[in-house]
Amino acid sequence: MTTAAGPADRAADPAEQARAVIEYCYDQGWTDGLPVVPATRSGVEEFLATTAREADEIIGTAPHLGRSITVAQAAANAIMAGCKPEYFPVVLAAWDAVNLERSARGAWQSTSGPCPLIVVNGPVRSRLEINCAGGVFGPGFRANATIARAIGLIVRNGYGIRPHELEQATQGLPGRWSVCLGENEEASPWEPLSVVGGAGPGTDAVSAVLIRTCEYVDNRGTDNPEAVLTDFADTLARLGAYLGGGHSSGGLVLGPEHAQLFGRNGYGRADVQQWLFEHAVRDRGDLIAAGKGEGPVGDPAQAGTPFPMMPSARDIPILVAGAANAAMSMVFRPFGWAPWSGRSVPVAWSRALSGV
Amino acid sequence: MFDSIIDPTLGPATDAGRGPAAPADRPDSLSGLRLGLLANTKRNAEQFLDQVGRLLTERCGVTALVARKKPDITNTAPEPILDDLRTQCDVVVVGVGDCGSCSASAVADGIILERAGIPAVVVCTDAFTASADAMARVRGVPGYRYLTVPHPMANLSPEGVRDKAAAAVPEIVAMLTSGAMAAAS
Repeated sequence: MTTAAGPADRAADPAEQARAVIEYCYDQGWTDGLPVVPATRSGVEEFLATTAREADEIIGTAPHLGRSITVAQAAANAIMAGCKPEYFPVVLAAWDAVNLERSARGAWQSTSGPCPLIVVNGPVRSRLEINCAGGVFGPGFRANATIARAIGLIVRNGYGIRPHELEQATQGLPGRWSVCLGENEEASPWEPLSVVGGAGPGTDAVSAVLIRTCEYVDNRGTDNPEAVLTDFADTLARLGAYLGGGHSSGGLVLGPEHAQLFGRNGYGRADVQQWLFEHAVRDRGDLIAAGKGEGPVGDPAQAGTPFPMMPSARDIPILVAGAANAAMSMVFRPFGWAPWSGRSVPVAWSRALSGV
Repeated sequence: MFDSIIDPTLGPATDAGRGPAAPADRPDSLSGLRLGLLANTKRNAEQFLDQVGRLLTERCGVTALVARKKPDITNTAPEPILDDLRTQCDVVVVGVGDCGSCSASAVADGIILERAGIPAVVVCTDAFTASADAMARVRGVPGYRYLTVPHPMANLSPEGVRDKAAAAVPEIVAMLTSGAMAAAS
């Protein structure tokens, strides 16, 4: 027979202490709504040992807020997000990749409330067990979930941009701060996204683009690549994603089945991009009917010509992720008008971890 | 109790929050003064400020208008623009804070101008008071007073913009001539 534990027993219980420290972090306003792991000095030291970068290096500035973020501060937030120490160089590369995006400057306070889509390439995917296959958008995988979450906590705690204060997302989106994918390089017919982004083949590298949402395209009824492309083009050309300014935006996370269908039929990545740029178009009247006829849409000199919804072929980023068990893919919507930076950031390990 | 925990919000100190919290001295009237209009790139912001400038010229005897448009909705106005406003204007109207980023940065612009001794009125729509207030705290001026106009601004017709500007003008005059900053407590 057990008796109820008294206050003294509870205070001595490490599990109860853990619960108390989690509550303490909530009380400080440090969390995104989920529990965080407390960051301690020794924990930060452990994280800093994984990178060759200096603890006090500034990795982000928001001059309008008078805030800067250091590597050590990023480490504290990565701990809080639930990262393992060896994830930290990937977090830093993801942070740098996000900050290459021209749209990142205004993103965190925006009514659009965008989410970083973080893509990891290279052998690090298997070393850190970053999911590239089934359920790649999560949840269920520590590295994917916590690397993405770390970026959100760095913004929140480092810049002090919190919801209902400086952060003014109208609705936000499902999965903000939780989208980190490994590219399924092994199931892709094409070179890794990081190679498109300028990193060497086989290099651990991170790419990022800010997105406003993802929309599925389920097409398992045909083996005709043009039929599948037609389906993608329809979603890419959706009116609601156009907010003026001359073009909308879009990219694809291809499921392996769709990617392999294209590969089998001789399509390279650039061929898919070109086809989609040419076909993701709308009748100008559709845009005008939806109250979106300003600017280039209503240009009298262009009347009667289709309106291209994508900025260019090159600016339709395409990667491959997920399981090869059903022919479905995801259209994602880059935030703002600036295209993906097109630059992938190599992961920089400490000398100990890089084996140098 | 949890002294070993690192505060993840503590970064390198900067000077954004430093400076007086008291407002710049207000003139008795706008007659004979030069008015700055600091717009952002949001839809209808320039049109709204143009109307304000026109009305203050007609009704209040403003003698010169200095209109500037800052290129970036997130950051404060670049130094050359701020310098123009500081050297060529007696009072400034800033706006329109009609998004998450630009409402906050408009307040920051207003506070920078006040600290330079230029009376300023920041105009935000009433949907963005939380971000405007948050920026005022960041800048060390909690309770900073700005002018709210009914949201939205971006979808207004030219007539709608004119009406909104006309409705705002009495309060703009009052705030430029009687104090916009919270007194330092």
